[in-house]
Amino acid sequence: MPIVGAFCVSVNREICVNAGMPGKCATCAEVCPHGVYELNLQTGEMNVVNFNACVGCRICAEFCPVNAIRINPAEPEYFTRYPWTFSAVEEVHYRAQTGEYLLRGFGTTGQTPNFDMITIVPSQISSPAPRDKYREECDMSVVIGENTCEKPVVLKQPFVWPAMSFGALSKEAKLALAISAAMTGIATDTGEGGLVPDEAWLARGYADAEMSVKKWDPGGYLLIQWSTGRWGVSADYLNSGDAVEVKIGQGAKPGMGGHLLGAKVTEEVSRVRGVPVGSDALSPCRYYDVQTLDDIKHMVAFLRDVTHYQMPIFFKLGPSRPYADVAACIEAGADAISLDGMVGGTGCSPDVVTQGVGIPTVACIPPAVQALKDYGVYRKVKLIALGGIRNGLDAFKAMALGADAVGFGSAAEVALGCRVCYACHKGNCPYGITSQKPEMRARLDPIEGGQRLANFIHACGEEVKILTMLSGHRSIQELSPEDLRAMDLNTAALTGLKLAGYDRPLPMWEEGFGLSKGKGNGHNN
Amino acid sequence: MKTMSVKSRTLKEANAELREKANGSPVHIHNVSHLHGLAAGLKHGEIIVEGNAGDYLGALNDGATIRVTQDTGNYPADNMTAGTVIIQGNAGFGAAEYCYGGTVVIVGDAGDFTATMNKGATIIVQGNVGDEAGTYMLKGSLIIVGNAGSNLANYLIRGAVYIGGEYRSLGHNTRLAALEDEDIALLKNCFETYGIAANPASFRKIVAASERPFYH
Repeated sequence: MPIVGAFCVSVNREICVNAGMPGKCATCAEVCPHGVYELNLQTGEMNVVNFNACVGCRICAEFCPVNAIRINPAEPEYFTRYPWTFSAVEEVHYRAQTGEYLLRGFGTTGQTPNFDMITIVPSQISSPAPRDKYREECDMSVVIGENTCEKPVVLKQPFVWPAMSFGALSKEAKLALAISAAMTGIATDTGEGGLVPDEAWLARGYADAEMSVKKWDPGGYLLIQWSTGRWGVSADYLNSGDAVEVKIGQGAKPGMGGHLLGAKVTEEVSRVRGVPVGSDALSPCRYYDVQTLDDIKHMVAFLRDVTHYQMPIFFKLGPSRPYADVAACIEAGADAISLDGMVGGTGCSPDVVTQGVGIPTVACIPPAVQALKDYGVYRKVKLIALGGIRNGLDAFKAMALGADAVGFGSAAEVALGCRVCYACHKGNCPYGITSQKPEMRARLDPIEGGQRLANFIHACGEEVKILTMLSGHRSIQELSPEDLRAMDLNTAALTGLKLAGYDRPLPMWEEGFGLSKGKGNGHNN
Repeated sequence: MKTMSVKSRTLKEANAELREKANGSPVHIHNVSHLHGLAAGLKHGEIIVEGNAGDYLGALNDGATIRVTQDTGNYPADNMTAGTVIIQGNAGFGAAEYCYGGTVVIVGDAGDFTATMNKGATIIVQGNVGDEAGTYMLKGSLIIVGNAGSNLANYLIRGAVYIGGEYRSLGHNTRLAALEDEDIALLKNCFETYGIAANPASFRKIVAASERPFYH
């Protein structure tokens, strides 16, 4: 994404090393993913040559050795020039000059409905009294597949690391995710890029491939993704994990397959995926071996068989028609459904898709829950909400809306150090998270990264506990939409939550108009 | 000779018995057409399916030899990594998709999207194939003795498609290449091994125009 917004880039030339000694420092140009700075090779001078390309990530400011750079957002332009902002103008120029559509990483930006206009209703005297976070227990565990397979997944906290592939992420980032899963008792996911061998034992908390030395307790789980590209997939691959996730779609680019650009297809990635080094690996948008829902059922049947009926089967959905899609997953035999809203992130996607396609996460959950209830499997088939969940507050709201657990994808990258520059697809991530270049990867230590991720999970877990207990609950399974109120009409309309003050759902959500099979919820009747 | 009938039995029951019996002498299995995913993920053994088979026969096969005396449903040998699947009759849609290794031989015809995303297997169709055969192949060989439909080898990246008959159209990123000695040797070996009466020299070879095509 060359142009996403307008930011003012200021360099204090009184302290800038390059301004004083041309050619002595080019750090800002080296780390900027968008070519905002340019080093003049003749004079050695550093100049801001393309301030319109700045996305406000402030990586340059972080790396500047003398703190000479200031990035300030130029929001007022959105009031004075909208819709023809600098970014809109420059994007048109880019298309006109190159004939190319814009690609970028990360998720939807701007004003997408989210969890922020939902408030939590605390307990007082008219409802069960609040629970004491500091002196009482709160059950945070989630069991997946308890009645359908021999080895259910028992998450110690209601969180997962969603699917992010090796290739999109560096090996170090994948290992950090696995280590943190082991430290916190949650699950990590291979994503569609095959298995990084160490991932299998690190995720379970072991320090060695033989799994003889336990290093991290309580130990976590590894979800093995079965996707449309089938990169690195075999019976052994499936049996190396604790659950199989059937990827149907994802939030940032529903209706499209994974995008891994040639810049990130190294020898190591090529060995796993079978794609030539330097060539784009663009996964199919659908399974070539599925034409009907019956095919999916048969696929699930043989996946269960090949994994010896031991593992739960997850489905991962993009945000399309949540009611009907979740119903289809239930019919296909899912034990858990990860529903990724449009705010979900990605390593690479066409900008028009990430920005303009799909249903906001907050609006996906209620119809999904209704489908689970209509099929009589609510709280049996687990719903995992993904897409733009940033902290324990968002997680609590998603779970009170009806999800059993949540996933932190983008937040995981940020917890590893990412500053959201939207350039994951280019492979130059200065933090080594989404780069395959050795010099970048060397900056990310998997154990340190794993500790940061585990800290993040711990903090979010405590936040969820606080909110659960002040709402009068002993367990996250007791959460319900009654614990929430919408603070504006828009959110009340999208979610069916009671509107704060009015204290009822909007009339369109009242009995007879709300969600039920075939009524305005994406069901095809 | 071991035999088993799986009439009215579930996939779980049938495959459990197959895994137990698939050691040593071949296992002849009857009445299987209602089962989808039969013989999935086997690592060894020789299975002979007497009659027709359902969908996903031998999916994720990892070393077994599976023979079917008549037709299969859709997606036989799906995601196979090793072993051999031989279908004496016709195969449905999407035969031998996503294979990493091994050999698939279809004596009759195969449907659309045969050998899609082949990543290293040798796939031989003695009859005709439908449209989109060999789509997004990354490695391995697709040998078509008969004719092919449209968009043959669409978005081929690596590997080769050999065709003895006619095709309606070639897909994106393809070009015709001259047969080399090693191609003739490969075809000759396959034809001799599986008793196929065809002349290797009369085949055309289709390869990728570029190994690194960019989409955008």
